[in-house]
Amino acid sequence: MTAAAATLESMLQDSRLVILAGSGGVGKTTSSAALALHAALAGRHVLVLTIDPARRLLQALGLHSRDLPSNTPLEVLPVRRADLPATELDADGELRNRGTLHAMMLDAESGAIDMVERLLPTAALRDQVMNNRIYRAFLPALSASPDYMALELISFLMRDDRFDLLVLDTPPMHNAVDFLHAGGTLAAFINERVLKWFAKVPLPGQKSRFSILGAGTSMAMSVLGRLLGNETLPDIAEFFASFQEVLPRLRERANETDRMLRAPHTHFVIVTAPGETSLREARHLHRELQDQTMNIAGFIVNRVIQVPRMLADPSHLIDATEHLRQPLIDSGLGAAETSDVTERLVQAAAKLRHLGEADEAHVVTLQRLAGKTAFCTVAAQREEDIHTLAQLRDLGARLLDASRPAC
Amino acid sequence: MLAPMITPPTTVQQDAAGSPLAAELLRHSVLLVTGKGGVGKSTVAVSMARLAAQRGQRVLLVELESVSRVAPLFGLPRVGPEPIEVDRRLWVACLDSMDSLRFFFTQQLKVAALVNLALRNRAVEGFFKAVPAVKPMLFLYHLWRIEQDQGRFGDGRYDLIICDLPTSGFTVGMYAIPDTLAHVFRVGSMATYAVGMREMLSQPGRAGLVLVTLPEEMPVTETLELRADLLRRHGVETAAIIVNGVYPHIVRPEDVEHLQTAAQMATGLAQEPVREWLWAARLLAGRRQRAEGFLTQLRTAMAGRVVELPFLFRRDLPLDAVDLLAHRFGARSEGAA
Repeated sequence: MTAAAATLESMLQDSRLVILAGSGGVGKTTSSAALALHAALAGRHVLVLTIDPARRLLQALGLHSRDLPSNTPLEVLPVRRADLPATELDADGELRNRGTLHAMMLDAESGAIDMVERLLPTAALRDQVMNNRIYRAFLPALSASPDYMALELISFLMRDDRFDLLVLDTPPMHNAVDFLHAGGTLAAFINERVLKWFAKVPLPGQKSRFSILGAGTSMAMSVLGRLLGNETLPDIAEFFASFQEVLPRLRERANETDRMLRAPHTHFVIVTAPGETSLREARHLHRELQDQTMNIAGFIVNRVIQVPRMLADPSHLIDATEHLRQPLIDSGLGAAETSDVTERLVQAAAKLRHLGEADEAHVVTLQRLAGKTAFCTVAAQREEDIHTLAQLRDLGARLLDASRPAC
Repeated sequence: MLAPMITPPTTVQQDAAGSPLAAELLRHSVLLVTGKGGVGKSTVAVSMARLAAQRGQRVLLVELESVSRVAPLFGLPRVGPEPIEVDRRLWVACLDSMDSLRFFFTQQLKVAALVNLALRNRAVEGFFKAVPAVKPMLFLYHLWRIEQDQGRFGDGRYDLIICDLPTSGFTVGMYAIPDTLAHVFRVGSMATYAVGMREMLSQPGRAGLVLVTLPEEMPVTETLELRADLLRRHGVETAAIIVNGVYPHIVRPEDVEHLQTAAQMATGLAQEPVREWLWAARLLAGRRQRAEGFLTQLRTAMAGRVVELPFLFRRDLPLDAVDLLAHRFGARSEGAA
């Protein structure tokens, strides 16, 4: 991105794929939904893909419960436009800019099954894989790594012409490499070397072909036999044999994903929140994404305590306390009670000021990291979870406002 | 390995005024600490380790990270797979999956030359690195072997191993490992290990599961779901839920009411300050009030097996802050009396 274009707004106008990355508990899912909604209200056709979504957020998007189909894009806008403020609608009651918003929840378990089905060309092969002991045992484990599924799915969804912008809420990570390489890992899991190697293992019912193996392979075979038990090798061999035909497609898919992640219209947004751990992880993520030559559009810092002017400054605090006394007495409190309340409040203010200072230092560090080429936008700590589309829209508007270069 | 340190007898000092729940938790041979990201699970794990060590137990704190998070707390540049004694009776180790893979190979193949050969073989390495469940599997195996060597199960040097597990997803995956292994390996050493690991995870007094959460809607809901999920799928009952970051009772709800009236009465120069005071009061009283609701919900669900730790109004947590939490962890909670 050029220096002039480094705002959240321009990113939402130009991108085809926006990926929000960050450690857990920093408000990534909410931020993803808020950005997606904003882009849709600006007229884009957006799909927000979320993993492990919060129920309230689903409710805000109009997606109520778990009985909704997963891994299917569900329409949020225009269908739920009545939940938006009237200012977003035109005289006919339509969205002013004619954008659309879909949301999709990623369910890793059925995602894994879908993926295998997409990859395996024939029904016979699919049956073979689905009935393989190894596959069945590892399926729940594969599902526990939604990053495999997410990457596989986005390359698929990028071709869906209903959408011109995909916003991806990634699983929590402190290690960007884990996620970015998920496609490659899957290809590596079933890589040629491993396949060839297992192709030499006798399938169930076949005679041993160990005699024709090279010295290195029989060595490795005996090691693996000792590690896992010789009786397991044929099952593993069958599993890998099923994937022989898929390998080129899997590799192609991994390459495609890699190209997609580095495309000029793909942007990463690092989401973080105050706290030493979050800050460290955001910096780590930033470094890794830079090393991987990904486009980093900017930072979103959520849950920042922004202490108002007078309470933030100790030299104003006495003044602020003076001004508190009379209104409290006017409200019907006695002198002693007023002193008690004031004392508690002064104590509270000191604690909040402490937090506010730490948070401000955190934001300054990230602003420096963002430099001139990326944005750094701040969202204040909210006292309520978001549970309506209108609240989500307000959050989006605040994020956009805070990212303008003036700040 | 480091030479065994000379340590005093490992009698657990029972503080009569202390929390019976904390004492019970520390009697496990292993504590598995997990929770959603950002809830302070590592801080809780260190606090528990500090408390146990202060009470006379020999404790190993294990992190599963590529870079140790607790190392800076003890002024160490880094911590690796070899336990380091960072304080009296407290050791820390940090494992990544390669460490656990090497450990597994060493245990299985015995001969160092063979281990190196196996680790260098690209097909073997490719296989182990890429199998989806391999990380929790290797770690569980590693932990199980350490547990076998220790305390009442052997003559090792730890009374308690506290594990700071990465995410709740990893934890669910880990509890599924014995079943997965039992499906894949019907006979042989892997099948035997599956039985041993299952016993460690399920026998009373061995691996205790501790879930860490914040007193907020999403983390609380997800924690209760995780607990129900583990109970339903694997018959695991959570030993305790630790609620971290509970706002103290500084501002009272009635203070907010007075300020609201005062804000309406305030005129001129007093308007801005009173509005600001109202912001502060609402924030603190509101958080406290919501926290109380979630604490009640959790206590009901867990039949009281809940520990409440205060929010310390700081974003960094140096060792003295950790010790403050350790102290609160071990003390009988005011609310439970």
